[in-house]
This record gives sequence, C-alpha cells and structure tokens, in this order.
Amino acid sequence: MTRKEHAALASRLAVGAVLIYAGSSKAAGPVEEFAYILAAYDVLPKDFLLPAAAFLPWIELLLGWSLILGYQTRLAAAAAGALFAGFLAALASTILRGISLPNCGCFGESLHFTPAQAFFMDLCLLILCGFGFQMGHGPASLDSWSERGL
Amino acid sequence: MGTVFARRIAAAALILTLAVLSALTAHKTHKPFSPFAPDFRTQGPADAKVLMVEFSDFECPACRYAEKPLHDLLALYKGHIRFVFKHYPLRMHERARPAAIAAECAGRQGRFWEYHDRLYDRQEEWTNDKAEMMLAGYASDLKLDMDAWQACRRDPALPALLEAELRDGNNAWVGSTPTFFINGKRFVGFQQLRERGTLFVEKELKR
Repeated sequence: MTRKEHAALASRLAVGAVLIYAGSSKAAGPVEEFAYILAAYDVLPKDFLLPAAAFLPWIELLLGWSLILGYQTRLAAAAAGALFAGFLAALASTILRGISLPNCGCFGESLHFTPAQAFFMDLCLLILCGFGFQMGHGPASLDSWSERGL
Repeated sequence: MGTVFARRIAAAALILTLAVLSALTAHKTHKPFSPFAPDFRTQGPADAKVLMVEFSDFECPACRYAEKPLHDLLALYKGHIRFVFKHYPLRMHERARPAAIAAECAGRQGRFWEYHDRLYDRQEEWTNDKAEMMLAGYASDLKLDMDAWQACRRDPALPALLEAELRDGNNAWVGSTPTFFINGKRFVGFQQLRERGTLFVEKELKR
C-alpha cells in the first residue's frame, strides 16, 4: 500500500469510528431523549422528530461500519459527507439564529460537545470524507475482497 | 460474477450484524426506578389509573416552561392522575441542589408546592449569586418556621435523598430535564408533553 492509501485507510477508520460511537450511543438510548435534542435545533418539522431520532443513529452505524470495513466505500464516504454537511448546516443555523444548545447531542448522553466544538469536529470529518471519496477503497477493504478475492 | 454478488451480500450482512451488535453492546439495561416520593411531593389519588412521574431541576429553564402544560394537564384530568415530583438536579446547575433542598424543607412544613411554584416563577431572580438570600426570602414570604427550615437544610439525609433520586433518574436513563413518565411512557421536555401527553393520558384512561 502506498502512503496515500494508508492515509485514506486512516481517514476511513477515523470517520467510521466516530460514526459508530455516535450511532451506538444514540441507538442504545431512549428515542425521545434524542428527539428532544433534535427539537432544540428547530430545523425539522415536529412530526419528523421522532422518526428522525429513531433512524439517524442507525444510518450513522451502517455508514460507520461500511467505512471501517470498506464496503461500498465511495458511496459510504459520500453519504457520510452529506450527513456531516447536514450537521454543519444545522449547527450553523442555530448559531446564526442565536439558539443556545446546551450540547450538540452528537453522542447521546455519553459525550457532551458544545455547538462550536461539534462544528469544528464535523468540518474535519467532512474533509476526511472528501479524501476518502477521492481515494475510493484500498486493498484492505470488503470492496476489494468482493471484487477479486483476498 | 456469482461469487462477487455472493460476497457483496455477505459483506452487507456483516455490516448489518455489526451495526446491530454495536447498538446492543452500548445498550444499558433500563433498571426500574422507584416512583416513591414523600407525600408532600405527590398530588392526586393513590389509586389513580394514571401515574405521572416528573424528574425535574429547579434551575432548568425548560422545566419552568413545562409548568404551564403540566398544570393544564393535571387540571384537565384532576382526580385521574397521581403526580409525583422527583428531584433531578443536573450537575451543570450549581444552584439546583440547594434549591431542591430548600424546597424539600418547605415540604416538611407542608408548603412544598408553593415553594416549588415560586422557584419556577422567579427562576431568573435566584439563579445567580443572590441564591442564598432569595431562597431564604421565599421561605420567609411563605411564613415558614425559619429556624426549623434552616436546621432542615443542614440535615445530612437530604443530600443522600437527592443522590437516591438522581440514581432513580439514571436507572430510568433520564438525560434531560424535565423528563416525564406517564404510566412508564417517556416524554422529554415540555413540547413532547404538550403535544403527545394529553393524547396518551386519554388513551390510558380509556384502557
């Protein structure tokens, strides 16, 4: 593997690990709790809060594992990038509208980040997703295994 | 081609399995919590069909906003709901514990709800450096026996009681205040209570 492929693998693993941690923290907790935090962002219609709170953690988990194991790598990187872009837009809108969030809700109850910290983290992860997308899957991936065998 | 497809399906199944396993690993067991609170912190008949438990923090603005929909709900179903107030002072609110203890001591003199209402109504007045003076002022306004009230605030049993209620909340996986449990169903924040609480109580009463 080249140095660039190592870097792409490291990016994939980092983004995947964050998504798995975030997704499992929220999927394991009560959906009403996450819906309450989503409501504070005031970006989703009320009727969508509970369904979004129920599905979003599972999307994070699936994307996280897809990135870690390199399954549909470019698609997963693009989807994760879109997710982070959405988070950034939501965080920016709360900052611009002067909505004070006690924490970003990114990791359920396990870790509390301020909106500014979450914004910086999401921005870094978005950049890593871009890099992962550009590089595609490397040899250490399920994509590689399913295409040519180990 | 067939092998590639089979491998892709196997990989997708692996991803799905790992996602479920990671959620299950993170899943803490929800232990049952005690809906017990001293009588002065309960309202409504003991044999009511609906038991409503609130975990609340006197310094939390969202708890203050929840007061109106909560009062409306309790008034609408007066006689049908057993309401229990439980303390859940969040660690980030440094004045929530002294306020909870002050209210508890007002409760021991039979004035919990008046003190409770005053703490929420005037939340901005006491959630600052003047807390100690304001808390004593509210006790005095309610004509409490001040010596008994001050002595009660030093009772070492009260911090232990708050810890026990925090444990109850943690067992029920309370993360935000106010959190309401209506016959065990969770409602977090005043919006969930206002939008879905009434319907749920109605449904429970018809069962």
